[in-house]
Amino acid sequence: MRFYSLFILLVGILGIYTLDSSRGKLESIDEVNEITLESLIQELGGKLPQHAMDDFDPKKAELGEQLVLTGQAKKGLFKSKLISPYFTCTDCHNLVNEFSDPRKNDPADRLETAINKNIPFLPGSTLWGVYNRMSWYNGDYVKKYGDLVKKARYSLPEAIQVCAEYCAAGRPLKNWELEAIMHYFKSKELRLKDIALDNNSKLKLANVAELSERERKKMKTVIESSFVRSYPAKFLPTMPREDRKYGEGADAENGREIFNRSCMHCHENGRVTNLHLNRTSLTGQMFVKHLEDYTDESLYQIVRHGTYTMAGRNQYMPLYTKEKMSDEQLESLVAYIKKLAEK
Amino acid sequence: MKKISLFFTLLAGFGFAQDVTETFNSTRIVNSHSTETLSDRQWEYRIEHRFGDMLGVGGGAQTAFGFDQAADIRMGFEHGLTDKWMIGMARLKGVGRPYRSILQGSTKYRILTQNKEKNIPFSLAVLGEMYYTYMTASTDSLSVAFFPKLEHRLSYASQLIFTRKMGERLSLGLMPTFVHRNYVDSNDVNSLFAVGGALNYKVTKNFGLLLEYFYNVEPGGEFRPNATNSFGLGFEFQTNGHSFHINLTNSRGFGAMQYVALTQEQWSLGQFRLGFSISRTFKIRRK
Repeated sequence: MRFYSLFILLVGILGIYTLDSSRGKLESIDEVNEITLESLIQELGGKLPQHAMDDFDPKKAELGEQLVLTGQAKKGLFKSKLISPYFTCTDCHNLVNEFSDPRKNDPADRLETAINKNIPFLPGSTLWGVYNRMSWYNGDYVKKYGDLVKKARYSLPEAIQVCAEYCAAGRPLKNWELEAIMHYFKSKELRLKDIALDNNSKLKLANVAELSERERKKMKTVIESSFVRSYPAKFLPTMPREDRKYGEGADAENGREIFNRSCMHCHENGRVTNLHLNRTSLTGQMFVKHLEDYTDESLYQIVRHGTYTMAGRNQYMPLYTKEKMSDEQLESLVAYIKKLAEK
Repeated sequence: MKKISLFFTLLAGFGFAQDVTETFNSTRIVNSHSTETLSDRQWEYRIEHRFGDMLGVGGGAQTAFGFDQAADIRMGFEHGLTDKWMIGMARLKGVGRPYRSILQGSTKYRILTQNKEKNIPFSLAVLGEMYYTYMTASTDSLSVAFFPKLEHRLSYASQLIFTRKMGERLSLGLMPTFVHRNYVDSNDVNSLFAVGGALNYKVTKNFGLLLEYFYNVEPGGEFRPNATNSFGLGFEFQTNGHSFHINLTNSRGFGAMQYVALTQEQWSLGQFRLGFSISRTFKIRRK
């Protein structure tokens, strides 16, 4: 009996030892930078999202990338049916970090980063790091999608389905498509290199087992707060007339960037929509004429409410939440439009 | 001197560094096509109407200034195969002189797009149209509508369309046109050449004024004694997906085969009519 107890104890110790050394010894900072935040959070005893995946298949991720970029993937001889004839994911979402620091969620920083990285300034949150988030369709999105949000809020696969079927006015994804997109998102999961942390702390995290309990708790908090795990969403009403500054004192140069990176992303040559916009005074005058209104033609209304799909016109405009475009940025856009009108 | 500078500025065009877009607001001017094509995978449904003479013998209050009559009605679907190539199929009532019940197929390809950077000073499109009348054949063997052979029911039109955007608001067009009808009256000619000119002035982004004139190179002599040239003016306005045209023109029918070869009305006699076109664009699939 004693022999068996000793044997079980030895096996247990060996097991723990094997678990601890499963990553191997990492010494260079480059190697450490590649550690996924998901594995660290798990090792530090943190909470993982429901969809956490154990395996990763690069081939599936490749299919997922095709689906995200073009709405269809070549599986076998033929291309799959488009998820949506009207939108692809990248019409509303970037695929790279949109902030100077992944902890930030400030529209001013988002615009500055968009300019620096030469990326669009879009109404949706970036898909970069979406795998590491805990919830989706947060805040006021319940106002738009109602009960659909219930199942999508804490489940990434459900959130993807809602996006495909409702936000993109498309169809529900097949199992293999959903799986492929999940693998693609996993390929874009956050790693130590993506967060703002000093090298000493990173090297410490290479050997979590050697950390004291106090240090583990501290590092868990540091890692979990090193990126936005849930993007809040505040829907703003149309700005009341008495609050509108009509671009007075606003930064028209920022407005030009917003026009180019937001409006023109979909409206240039009617790429996504039937409404063609260009950088001419006629376009400017078209908007200026309606600035005081409470209609879709008014920038103050359309930015905050967007439009809805309708029979024969499924392309719609998503709204910009407070976090995706501030009132100050909206005024900048108005200032640019007024300048454009006078060109 | 200022006037001369302005003229040269207009002639040179403004700085369009990219491909020029929206030279005309839609695929049509008044009767003629413009260089605009539907974009890739875009569909358009068009309903077009020409009423009777507004004034003159056939017009006036007795016909509610032409509203009681329908000179021609056209309904058709058009589709963009690429951003530069579109095709269409339509059914025309036909002006009845001599053709009624016409099926029209068309194809248009934009060969050049105005672009200053690439030193392309104008846009150029080529249009081909084919007409087939399925009207009941006349029993009168002297009538054009007797149609001894099936191919006598066919006619064709082809057009080169040159357009140039002179600035944000003003665009001009030139449309050399060739029409061929397989079977015509003894005092008519099968092949006819015409040159069209057009102007578009955008008052706002979505509202523009249009002028269009076609000069027929007539054979002279005893041929085509009643033929006149087509002249039309109108305005267009657009909404998100819809395009509306309201115009006045002396030509009765749609399609180059009718407005070039079959126009006999004169503005000076009050033989002009109100017409409209409504088009609805659908994007079944994004680019």
